[in-house]
Amino acid sequence: MFISRSLRAKATQLRSSPLQIRNRRRSYYTVDHPDPTPFSETESAILSSALSRVPTHGFSQKALKLGARDAGYLDVSTNLFPRGTFDLVNYHLVTRRMALKEEVQFPELDTQSGNKLGVGARVRILALARLRANKDIIGKWQDAIAIMAQPSYVSASLSELARLSDEIWYLAGDKAVDASWYTKRATLSAIYSAAELHQTQDQSPNFIETERFLDSRLEDLRKVSSLAGGFGGWVGYTAQSAVNVLRSKGVKI
Amino acid sequence: MSSASESISQAPSKPLPSENPSLTTEQRRYLESALRVNQAGELAAVLIYGAQTPPIVRAHPHLRPLMKHMYDQEAGHFTKFNELISKHRIRPTAMYPVWTAAATVLGWGTAIMGREAAMACTEAVETEIGTHYNDQVRTLLDWQENLKQNGQSLGPELEELLTDIRRIRDEELEHLDHAVEHDAKEAQPYEVLTNVIRGGCRAAIWVSERV
Repeated sequence: MFISRSLRAKATQLRSSPLQIRNRRRSYYTVDHPDPTPFSETESAILSSALSRVPTHGFSQKALKLGARDAGYLDVSTNLFPRGTFDLVNYHLVTRRMALKEEVQFPELDTQSGNKLGVGARVRILALARLRANKDIIGKWQDAIAIMAQPSYVSASLSELARLSDEIWYLAGDKAVDASWYTKRATLSAIYSAAELHQTQDQSPNFIETERFLDSRLEDLRKVSSLAGGFGGWVGYTAQSAVNVLRSKGVKI
Repeated sequence: MSSASESISQAPSKPLPSENPSLTTEQRRYLESALRVNQAGELAAVLIYGAQTPPIVRAHPHLRPLMKHMYDQEAGHFTKFNELISKHRIRPTAMYPVWTAAATVLGWGTAIMGREAAMACTEAVETEIGTHYNDQVRTLLDWQENLKQNGQSLGPELEELLTDIRRIRDEELEHLDHAVEHDAKEAQPYEVLTNVIRGGCRAAIWVSERV
């Protein structure tokens, strides 16, 4: 059993489909030379119809087959997707991520404080919009989590999560390109996945519970990062002052 | 506020139509790592000059305008590459904190050794960085040449990048000349110092291209 599974995973890796090639990490983004679309027309047609079958049939081979039929293809065309149900999960993740750009509009001012909307507030709006986009399939999201946790798909799932956090920071207008680039993306990924897990258990109307959960995590993050930033600033300031004191005493440093 | 999509079955949006030829994966990779190295290099340059300035200016007040001039130019380059990295959504180097520490120590250390050592450091760093920018200019010119044969062009963005890199290269080489004019070659031990620094630069470039 174990052997056959690992062999199957190998075979999956070897049969690298065009889908996998095009889903590799993006580099050098530019509007002058746009990125190619991640899915071909056939793939989109089948996967989007399959996705509309997910609320009833889950992220299953059955949903894929029904999707192919709905889109007017033979059952056998699900062979286009060597990663099977993972390709269906991936389609949901990729299309929801790409939709953020078109669907989220920021209000001019913060609704609560009336100040200009900061990067943090925009991150919150974007993360919430992405969570709400799980609305139709959240009942079956546990299946998807199980699929993504399979050893051969873990790395693809994590890179898609990284792309989502990158997209959120980018759309929120964060321009920092120093070491905080990494910590920001890592913490947002952790917060988002925790919120998504919370969402699978959320029965409240319009995911109010999930929204609260997200807010409290983001609040924790704000506190911790201002502490950490404050500490870093303090160390730097103290070191600089020490050097200046020594210089003022005539030490040649 | 936000409106999540009602329909679950929606194809991803098509990219904007473009008259420019699309970049190949290799070209995107090349630009990604080149810009990442450039940003890391300018970060180091800003920190090196920043750390050198106080000890040098204290010992040789007449060098203040030169140090300020070089520092300001490097700060301008750093801002330029920060903008490009953020615009093209390129991952900054993961070694950012390491380069920060290394460059500060290098700048401060050579400045303590004296004016000649500081200038030798500038000479070594700018030689490597000048060569590095030259390679990039050559690559972009190659692309341009190939596209021209098919009646196409690089597009405004890459043409601007080419101009910027050329200008920045010229300014770096100008710093190299200043360093030599200010007795970089008199540094003791000149050979060891410049070779160690140049080796360090090449290693840092190699690493930053990758991570």
